[in-house]
Amino acid sequence: MQNRLSGARCRYCLVAVAALALLACPIAATAQAAADPWPALQQAYFPGKTLVPASFIHVTAPTRAASGDQVPFAFSIDHPMTATNYIKKVTVLVDANPVPVTGVFHFKPESGKAELATRIRFDTDSPVHVVAEASDGKLYVGTVTVKASGGCGGSVAGDDPAVMAAAGKMKMALAGPPNVGGINKARLLIRHPMYTGLQRDLTTNGFRPAYFIEQVSVSYNGKPVLVADTSIGISENPTLEFGFVADRPGALAVVLQDNTGATFRQALDVGG
Amino acid sequence: MSVADRASPRRLVALALLLAATICAPLAAAPLHVDQVAPGVYVHIGQHKDFEEGYDGDIANIGFIVGAEAVAVIDTGGSWAVGMALKEALRAITQLPVRYVVNTHGHPDHVFGNAAFLHADGASEQPQFIGHARLSHALAARRDTYLRNLARQLGDGAANSVVVAPTQAVPDRLTLDLGHRKLALTAWPGAHTDHDLTVFDGATGTLWSGDLLFIERTPSIDGDVTGWLAATQQLKKLPAAVVIPGHGPVTRDKNRALARQADYLTTLLRDVRASIRRGDTMTATMTTAAASERTRWQLFDVVNRRNVNALYPLLEWE
Repeated sequence: MQNRLSGARCRYCLVAVAALALLACPIAATAQAAADPWPALQQAYFPGKTLVPASFIHVTAPTRAASGDQVPFAFSIDHPMTATNYIKKVTVLVDANPVPVTGVFHFKPESGKAELATRIRFDTDSPVHVVAEASDGKLYVGTVTVKASGGCGGSVAGDDPAVMAAAGKMKMALAGPPNVGGINKARLLIRHPMYTGLQRDLTTNGFRPAYFIEQVSVSYNGKPVLVADTSIGISENPTLEFGFVADRPGALAVVLQDNTGATFRQALDVGG
Repeated sequence: MSVADRASPRRLVALALLLAATICAPLAAAPLHVDQVAPGVYVHIGQHKDFEEGYDGDIANIGFIVGAEAVAVIDTGGSWAVGMALKEALRAITQLPVRYVVNTHGHPDHVFGNAAFLHADGASEQPQFIGHARLSHALAARRDTYLRNLARQLGDGAANSVVVAPTQAVPDRLTLDLGHRKLALTAWPGAHTDHDLTVFDGATGTLWSGDLLFIERTPSIDGDVTGWLAATQQLKKLPAAVVIPGHGPVTRDKNRALARQADYLTTLLRDVRASIRRGDTMTATMTTAAASERTRWQLFDVVNRRNVNALYPLLEWE
């Protein structure tokens, strides 16, 4: 540090000058330790309910994500899935995201297991809470914390007309050989920009309107195995990996619905 | 002469502002170390640090080329403070005006120092800020995220760092005249990013490649890996005696460095595709893809994971 202060005859002047200097210093936007949003989120989405921390809820996500845009995320719940005792609903909340509820996943005994793998967005470092509701109404919670950033705002990537034309295209396959009489795992890829409504649109100087898949319904031989209420927290070109019981050969069918009301369908033959 | 002898209010305010500048930007006081790698071509070599671990804004290669009448700055570093330190180094070498500030692409470690070359008084002639025709779009789209990340990474060290929009766009080629010295700028199709620009100094045969070439530091992909491999082949054909990469040491053996980079990109692409065919998850692929390249590069684990994270979701749709 270099300045012209030789001699220290006027300490008061120096103090005054230093104080002025500090005042003139632009205050950088340093991250303030914000209040934990979870108590308010819990009160908003599960008012008056007790959430029991459950070690049988396994949540898989990186401690530090390589990118906030596409964070691999999975939950798997070790719980019976019988006709009278099963996990019926799992809510995934990324506490610090602009829209914390990332997905609500409805399961049936025919799901085989309450588990799901996908990729989600993180706007900043945040805990994820996975809240499971059993068929008897009891609520359980599991959580992990992920360091990541930049997933919800930022750029609108890609060539718009091409992106819009491809929206709703799907690829679906079984992860492994078909298992008639048991649990199968399916992997579904969806082409969709999942615009968050928080991304800048440079042609209008405003924000690109939100455009996203809001529901993914999966059935096997006409019986529902998974309904996913999806939000803007699901990454662009969503992927869903989920289980289902194939009691006999048949067809796995998917219906997507986006927030404009458009629907898209895809099916896959299993066994037979 | 002590302060107290001449302590008029005006002098105190001036002194306060001077102190503010030194307190807010300690880096600006010391000129950045630069090497003259060819006559009139000066480079500061950035360090191999990640954005998330000990990042200080000084990781990219930045510098300037001096002509008979003017200077072109090429990339400016990751903060206003780094840009100021580069300007200090420049002013220790020449008093010629900075007529051009060229950005090889819009990544934060290369552009946030641009702010140091804006003239705050408004009286002096501003330099032209030059980039690829798509740079303007890229910077505007990512400005908010970049600024927020920078504040998180550098804290007070992010002070005065702003995104400076380009004032001149290069759709394909542009020649800059520095006085008895011409720089040939080339805009590339999608490669490291979708807006890479190279600078060739004909007087010395020096190619400033930007991040189209990484040496030592693991190449990071924010564009099109097959496009980057194609650009690598094109760069091999250029008659450059000296190449200044975006990261890593200056080389006089361009084609060896390009071949090494191509090895990494090819291996990564092949391995991610194979993982997808096998049904491996993206998370598993992050630890297996391009593992054979691991010992050849710095910051491999963190950058390679990011590359898989970017590539895997795209290649799933091939």
